[in-house]
Amino acid sequence: MWHNVWAVIRREYLQRVRSKWFIAATVGGPVVMACLIVVPAWLAIQGNRDEFRLAVVDGTGVLYEELAPRLENGGFEVEEVRWYADVVTELRARANDGELGGFIMVDELTLETGEAIYYSMDVPSALRQVTIQTSVARTALEYQLEQQGVDPDGLLGGGELQVEVISGAGSDVRDPQFGVAYGGAFFLYMVILLYAVAVMRATLEEKTSRIVEVIISSMKPSELMLGKIVGVCAVSLTQMAIWIGAAITLFAVAIPMMIAARPELANLENLREFAPGAGLIALFFGFFLFGFLMYSGLYAAVGAMCNTDEEAQQAQFPMIMLLVVPIVMVTSVIQAPNTPMATGLSLFPLFSPILMWARVSGGGVPPWQVALSFVLMALMVWLIAWVAGRIYKVGILMSGKRPTLPELWRWVREA
Amino acid sequence: MSDDGFALRLDGVTKRFGKHTAVEDFDFEVPRGVICGLLGPNGSGKTTSIRMIMGILGPDEGTVSLFGENPDVTRRTKVGYLPEERGVYKKMKCLELITFLGEIRGLKRAEARRRGGAWLDRLGLPEWADKKVEDLSKGMQQKIQFIGTVIHEPELLILDEPFSGLDPINQDVLEEIVRDYHAKGTTILFSTHLMDQAERLCERVCLISKAKKVLDGDLREIKAAERRGVVAVEFEGPDTWIRGPEVDHVEEADDGLHLVLRDGQDHQPILHRAVSSGARILRFDLVEPRLHEIFVRHAGDGAVGDAGMPVGTGIGRIAEPGDGAGSGSESVGRGGV
Repeated sequence: MWHNVWAVIRREYLQRVRSKWFIAATVGGPVVMACLIVVPAWLAIQGNRDEFRLAVVDGTGVLYEELAPRLENGGFEVEEVRWYADVVTELRARANDGELGGFIMVDELTLETGEAIYYSMDVPSALRQVTIQTSVARTALEYQLEQQGVDPDGLLGGGELQVEVISGAGSDVRDPQFGVAYGGAFFLYMVILLYAVAVMRATLEEKTSRIVEVIISSMKPSELMLGKIVGVCAVSLTQMAIWIGAAITLFAVAIPMMIAARPELANLENLREFAPGAGLIALFFGFFLFGFLMYSGLYAAVGAMCNTDEEAQQAQFPMIMLLVVPIVMVTSVIQAPNTPMATGLSLFPLFSPILMWARVSGGGVPPWQVALSFVLMALMVWLIAWVAGRIYKVGILMSGKRPTLPELWRWVREA
Repeated sequence: MSDDGFALRLDGVTKRFGKHTAVEDFDFEVPRGVICGLLGPNGSGKTTSIRMIMGILGPDEGTVSLFGENPDVTRRTKVGYLPEERGVYKKMKCLELITFLGEIRGLKRAEARRRGGAWLDRLGLPEWADKKVEDLSKGMQQKIQFIGTVIHEPELLILDEPFSGLDPINQDVLEEIVRDYHAKGTTILFSTHLMDQAERLCERVCLISKAKKVLDGDLREIKAAERRGVVAVEFEGPDTWIRGPEVDHVEEADDGLHLVLRDGQDHQPILHRAVSSGARILRFDLVEPRLHEIFVRHAGDGAVGDAGMPVGTGIGRIAEPGDGAGSGSESVGRGGV
């Protein structure tokens, strides 16, 4: 039996991995992602390095010391110029000679309102403006806080909330990672649907091209179905492994390299906050795997009972609904992850991949609930394999009109 | 079950699709090493029978055995099957497809690949090994599929309408290969509705009509047994003597007219009538009936087109339906499956 299944898996895997579509999506995905992150930042700092030579005219006498390192972090070269009567004229002249890209004037008003004046040789990019503006404002704010005897790092760092959960449930609350929860849920929806539909199309192709007759005379339908699903699954895992590998490379290698090369790109560092940890990535694969196994079984059955693409489009409607419902609810579940409704829905196996993921990655969920959802999903995989396997077995050799629900039920009973 | 000398044996096999009975109480054996034709008009149950032999359909009643064993055990490695509706993975390269088909019949991958390459050479397609199947002509795709059918050197070849869709040249190529396999001792069962082809190739035939077996056995024995039933005549002069109570119908053949007699009738009265009518008899010969005639005789009313008596003067003509059998039969389709 395994010889057959293995042959089907290998055929499916190699055919797909070698296809132009797979190569384009697998390589193209990371490239597009990298471009979306890196290119705008890169473009924003492109231009003459001279623009980054700044003079700071400090009318207060207290700001330059803190302001200079901040601006340098943002990629500027700075020099301090004491205020004197003709300083603006002089600095304009130096800028016109190409010695300076521009200069900043800070004074007592800056200390009160954060306002400053930036004389620039060119129209400054938004990134450059924001860098200067936040540097000045932050320096002024810190100065004022220090004057009050307050710890500016603690307050400006966003504070710290220590959570003590009174009842037992959800006592392992972590910092909510909303981005990961949303992004992951949509990504799960996308990949589960994408690859489950791939199983359906493959089944339909085998059925309509009639090659299934030759195959079924050499192996059991269940072996073909298993090989098909595992083959497509292997393809999907390959693709996601490449994507995630590319993302890790981007965060761990490419971004630090770029920041080292162009310090003004330091803002890219903030993206790390969105990067999920290894535990979450493992959970993600877990949810994907079970989600895929459940839905690909259902989709295989749909492919087997239909005769044309159009029919299959219609027949997959219930499955689409099962995937869309949790997506619609994902926001409210992330916001209130431990309500009875959120808990109940996320434990429903066909919703678990999306909703339990959203709860786990977004906030505190008792580990037993996660474990339970995997147990329930495993049971559902078994149930679907049993039902869908029977529909598949009958449907794959059947031509003629699509079966009605009572007919389907008879297939399941009699197969 | 033990080895009984039969490559294939069906015992009382019945298959129903809802209210429609596709195959009824079918007993059938194919001894090892023979070429056997499964003949019948479209919709008579040939494909359903073959699908049951191949385990694609399960019989409602009766049993199938291959080489005296449980078919599920022997089928995969000992049987090569070419279905009526030819399917391929269009996006695969030819050699890969052949290799895959060999693999699922129990060959090691490397071995399947080696044999596939050798076959492509033999059929003059070596340059197509790395081409995608969809780039091939239909005839070539059928060749690829045939290679996939025989790649594991099966002991029993089951070919469902193997000649349909092939041009005459490729029909000859296929016939040649079938004869080769027969010479090597392979048992071959093929279905067809073309009686002439079956007559050329088969040692044994099994005729089915309307889901039931009509006749089966050694073709030569069948013909010998049926010999009394047909008289070939050539003559000049009046033809009125042709009609008579003994004659069922008349067919035009290459060697004159064939008078097909009713069951149990003797030819002597016809000869007597001919001589007394004044016709000049050039030939009056008891011949082996053509398979088509045998089929018509046995399948009975409505199974095939009723061949009427010749009308008019001179040499009688028969309204011969296109492929002989089939046109008069009820078209039943393949039911739900």
